[in-house]
Amino acid sequence: MIEVLLPGARATIQDAGRVRGLRDGVPTAGPADRVAHATANALVGNDPGAAAIEIVGLPFVCRATRPLLVAAAGRDVRLVVRDTVPGWTCAFVRAGDEVRVEGRSRYAYLAIAGGIDVPAALGSRSSYPQASLGPAALAAGARVRTLTVPAEVARAGATAAAPDYAAVPRVVVGPHEDRVDARAFLAASFVVDERSDRMGVRLRGEPLPTRGGELVTAGMAEGAVQVPGGGEPIVLLADHQTTGGYPVVATVIAADLPLVAQREPGEEIRFAPISLRDAVAELQRVRYRVFAVRDARSD
Amino acid sequence: MPFGERAVLVTFAERVDAGANARARALADAWERRVGPAVPAYASTLLHYDPLALPAASALRLARRLASRARARTVVRPTIEIPVRYGGPDLADVARLSNASVDEIVALHAGREYRVYFLGFMPGFAYLGDLDPRIVAPRLPSPRTRVAVGSVAVAGAQTAVYPFASPGGWRLIGTTDVALFDPARERPALLAEGDRVRFVPA
Repeated sequence: MIEVLLPGARATIQDAGRVRGLRDGVPTAGPADRVAHATANALVGNDPGAAAIEIVGLPFVCRATRPLLVAAAGRDVRLVVRDTVPGWTCAFVRAGDEVRVEGRSRYAYLAIAGGIDVPAALGSRSSYPQASLGPAALAAGARVRTLTVPAEVARAGATAAAPDYAAVPRVVVGPHEDRVDARAFLAASFVVDERSDRMGVRLRGEPLPTRGGELVTAGMAEGAVQVPGGGEPIVLLADHQTTGGYPVVATVIAADLPLVAQREPGEEIRFAPISLRDAVAELQRVRYRVFAVRDARSD
Repeated sequence: MPFGERAVLVTFAERVDAGANARARALADAWERRVGPAVPAYASTLLHYDPLALPAASALRLARRLASRARARTVVRPTIEIPVRYGGPDLADVARLSNASVDEIVALHAGREYRVYFLGFMPGFAYLGDLDPRIVAPRLPSPRTRVAVGSVAVAGAQTAVYPFASPGGWRLIGTTDVALFDPARERPALLAEGDRVRFVPA
């Protein structure tokens, strides 16, 4: 168990997300940065989709009530236990130790060996407070139970590589490039708007012209770059609506969506095209890396 | 057609169409049985898949094959009655736009059975159709920043109930106390695709 001392601006529990409510309009939720979340889990020996803590607005401070393995991941994140431990590194925490997650990451993840033990709602432990699904956001004083697993102490010190968060995110063009000019989108440069949240990253820039008005409402996928009538795109993240009526000029590939999610308001962003085949290869690379971290020999 | 590297979008029609909607829902059922999650809407289905388990080319082929076979099935669904207190902030405007009295609008809205095309926008939000064409209700030129929970709304040929407070551009003609989404229920959403719905003046 851990006890939350300082939750940051907002700390929620997220596993890989919820698909059982999709046809009832329930967003998947899950982590905004799926690569950092999966890697933090892998570092402590968890399944990559285990429930971990997503933190917005560091620092986050908690106390361990028993010995634990923990790892933090994000764009710019570190742990302070007795010493400072860099992000993307597994650390051993003694009973009674205070664990502080610090840094400037927009979304930071704290994974705990065993994973967080909360009841599942519609098959998932992800928090979606808008519909009271899953666990409530963590407040100071909250006690979070973790599943007990044999402590693989030898994992402490194991590290994983972080993505290059400054890289240019890649997109598969479409499906509605007949309504929005994909070349204009790929040539453009945008600034991340501060109204961005877990539903989507809003971009400001030269408006992209759209043709044919709104779509007949259709299902929407994570990473979709929607272009509303005003011409300023929105990149959909974990809490996005299951359906939408704006044309989608391109879709950010899963491997690169964390680069978009972690951009700070005011930062510049542009996009590069990638083929469907290469997008799948990138997904494979990311997933293999996560499994390699989890399956690393810990003796 | 591909929607990123992990989904395929199949479009049956470019308009709101009961036949295309039934095929879209049948395709979603077939995909869920064979592959994974799917989201039908008015006339299209978004099919999710894992390209490391099912290669993208195979997913596209399978989507095409299942789409060509997707046929509406006649399933008898229950009729759900939703009691409504008519009298929302836009009821008088809708009456004026429709060249009708408020009582006539209420009678038209409560006077027919609706079908759930699909759910989307927010948990438990069911798109119901079709409105009597004598009800004229274009979307608000600028959406409200907050629509109250339980608001009964109309827009175009559609009607719906807001399960949660949210921004919204539909015209509000009444209120219900029925919970459209209750996380404590085993199936939290009150309405499901294909259900028949009647509004009953309370």
